Amino acid sequence: MIKISHLYKSLNRELVLKDIDLTINDSEIWVILGQSGVGKSVLLQHMIGLFHPDQGAIEINGLRLDHLTAQQWLDLRRTMGYLFQEGALYDFMTVFENVAFPLQEHTALSVLEIKAKAENILQLVGLEGVERKYPAQLSGGMRKRVALARAVILDSKILFCDEPTSGLDPILSRDISNLIRDISRHFRTTTVIASHDIANAFRIADKVAILKDGQVVAQGTPQEVRASQNDFVREFIH
Amino acid sequence: MQKIDLFFFYRQTFLIIAQKLSGFGRALYFFADVCSLGLKGKIRLSELMKQIYEQGMQSVVVVALTSAATGIVLALQGYMMLERFGAKEKVASLVALSLVRELSPVFTSLIFSGKAGARVTAELGAMSVNNQITATKVMGVDPLEFLVLPRMLACVLVLPILVVFSQVIGIMGGYLVAVFQADIPGSFYIHQTLRSINYVDFLSGFIKTFFFAILIGWVCCYQGYYTKGGSIGVGHYTTRAVAFAYIFVVLSNTVLTKIILTFWG
Ligand SMILES: Nc1ncnc2c1ncn2[C@@H]1O[C@H](COP(=O)(O)OP(=O)(O)OP(=O)(O)O)[C@@H](O)[C@H]1O
Ligand SMILES: [Mg+2]
Repeated sequence: MIKISHLYKSLNRELVLKDIDLTINDSEIWVILGQSGVGKSVLLQHMIGLFHPDQGAIEINGLRLDHLTAQQWLDLRRTMGYLFQEGALYDFMTVFENVAFPLQEHTALSVLEIKAKAENILQLVGLEGVERKYPAQLSGGMRKRVALARAVILDSKILFCDEPTSGLDPILSRDISNLIRDISRHFRTTTVIASHDIANAFRIADKVAILKDGQVVAQGTPQEVRASQNDFVREFIH
Repeated sequence: MQKIDLFFFYRQTFLIIAQKLSGFGRALYFFADVCSLGLKGKIRLSELMKQIYEQGMQSVVVVALTSAATGIVLALQGYMMLERFGAKEKVASLVALSLVRELSPVFTSLIFSGKAGARVTAELGAMSVNNQITATKVMGVDPLEFLVLPRMLACVLVLPILVVFSQVIGIMGGYLVAVFQADIPGSFYIHQTLRSINYVDFLSGFIKTFFFAILIGWVCCYQGYYTKGGSIGVGHYTTRAVAFAYIFVVLSNTVLTKIILTFWG
C-alpha cells in the first residue's frame, strides 16, 4: 500500500504540489491525470525517492520513505519498477542486455535462467526476435515495451509509469495501455500511471485521481470521477 | 542611489563567488565518492576493460601521428641549431629529454582530453539527459559505480600508457632524422638516448601524466554526470569539459614543473 499524506513540494520557489492525500491499495491500477506541467511526474518521482517532500509523508508498505536506511531503500527499489517517459534504456546495451540487467544485478540466477526469464518477459510484452537489436534501432512503441519488460522483470510489486502513451498513435496507445493492465494483473502489481490520455486512463484504471494546480480535485473509481460535479473535472474529461 | 548600486554589486559578486564555491564543493564531493568506491574495490572489470579499450583505441592513432611529427621536428630544429656549435651528436639527448620530461605528457594529455575526455562527457551527458542515470538509481544500482568509476579509472590507466607510447614514437621520429639527415649512426643515437634519460626524467614525466589523467577523468566525468538541458546541453557541457581539461592540464603543468624542478633539479 502506498499512502501519501499532506504532501507539499515547492520547486524553484513555486508550489508544485499542495496537500496531496492519496491511498493506493495493493494490486490497484491508479491513473493520475492532469494537464501538462501540473506535477504528475514530480508526484511519481516522490514515490521512488527522487524528490523529498517539503511537508507531509509518503509510506510504502508501512515504511515512511524519509526514515529508510540505504539498505532498506535498496530492498524497496528491487520491488519497484519505473517506466520512464522516454524509456531510459541503456543505449550501449542490446534489448536483451537491457532487460536482463536487473536480474544480473540483483539475483543469483544462472546465465541460462536469466536468458529464459528475459525471453519469457519479452514474449509477454509482445517482442520477439529483437533481442540483439539496440534501442536506437527500435520504434518508440517498441522501446516502451522493452522498458516495461525491464521495469517488471524482478517480479515488481509496484509499477510506476510516466506518460506511457505519450508520443504514440491512438492504436499503439491503446495497445500499450492494455499491456500495462495485463502485466499488472498478471504480476498482481500495484500500478501508478501518470498520464493525460483520458480515454485510456478511464478504460484501464481501477482508480483515477485528477490534479489541478498541484491539488487533487477528484479521485475515485472511473464512475465516481465521471459523476463529479467539479467544473474543472467535467470540462477536463468531456 | 550610488550606495544602493554598490550594495547590489557586492551582493551579486558574493552570490557568484558562493555559487562557484558550491560548484567546486560538489565536484570535490563527486570525486571523493568515486574514489571511495574505487578504494572499496567496487570495480566492474568488464566495464573497465571496455572503457580502457575504447579510450585507448580512440586516441592511439592521433597520439602516434603527433608524437612522430614532434620527434621529427625537434630533431630537425635541434640538429640545425646544435650543428652551429659543433655539437650535433647531442641531438639525441635533446629529443629524448624534451619528449620524456615535457612534450609527450602534455601533448598526449591534450589530445586525450579532446578525444577520450570528450567521449566520456558526451556519453555520460547523453545518459544524464535521457534519464539513464536516474533509471540506474531507481533500479537500485549506483551510477557512480556502474557508469562513472570505470570511465575515470580507465583514464588513469590509459593515459600513462599512451604517454610512454608517445615517448617511444617521438624518439623513433628523431631517430629517422638523425640517421637519414644528420648522418648520425643509429646505434650511437640509441645509445645516447638511453644514456641521457635517467629515472628522474622518466618519473617526473610520469608523475605529471598521472596528475593530468586524474584531472581529465574527474572533469570530464563530473561535467557529463551533471549535464542538463537536452542535446544542446550535451554539446555545451562537452565543450566545457574539454576546455576545462585543457586549462587544468596547462596550468597544473607549470605548477608541477616548478615543484619537480625545485626538488629534483
Ligand atoms: N527537477 C526539477 N527541478 C525544478 N523544477 C521542476 C523539476 N521537475 C519539474 N519541475 C517543475 O515542476 C512542475 C511540474 O512538472 P512535472 O514534470 O511534474 O509536470 P507533468 O504534470 O509531469 O507534466 P507533463 O504532462 O508535461 O509531463 C513544472 O512547473 C516544472 O517546471
Ligand atoms: Mg511528466
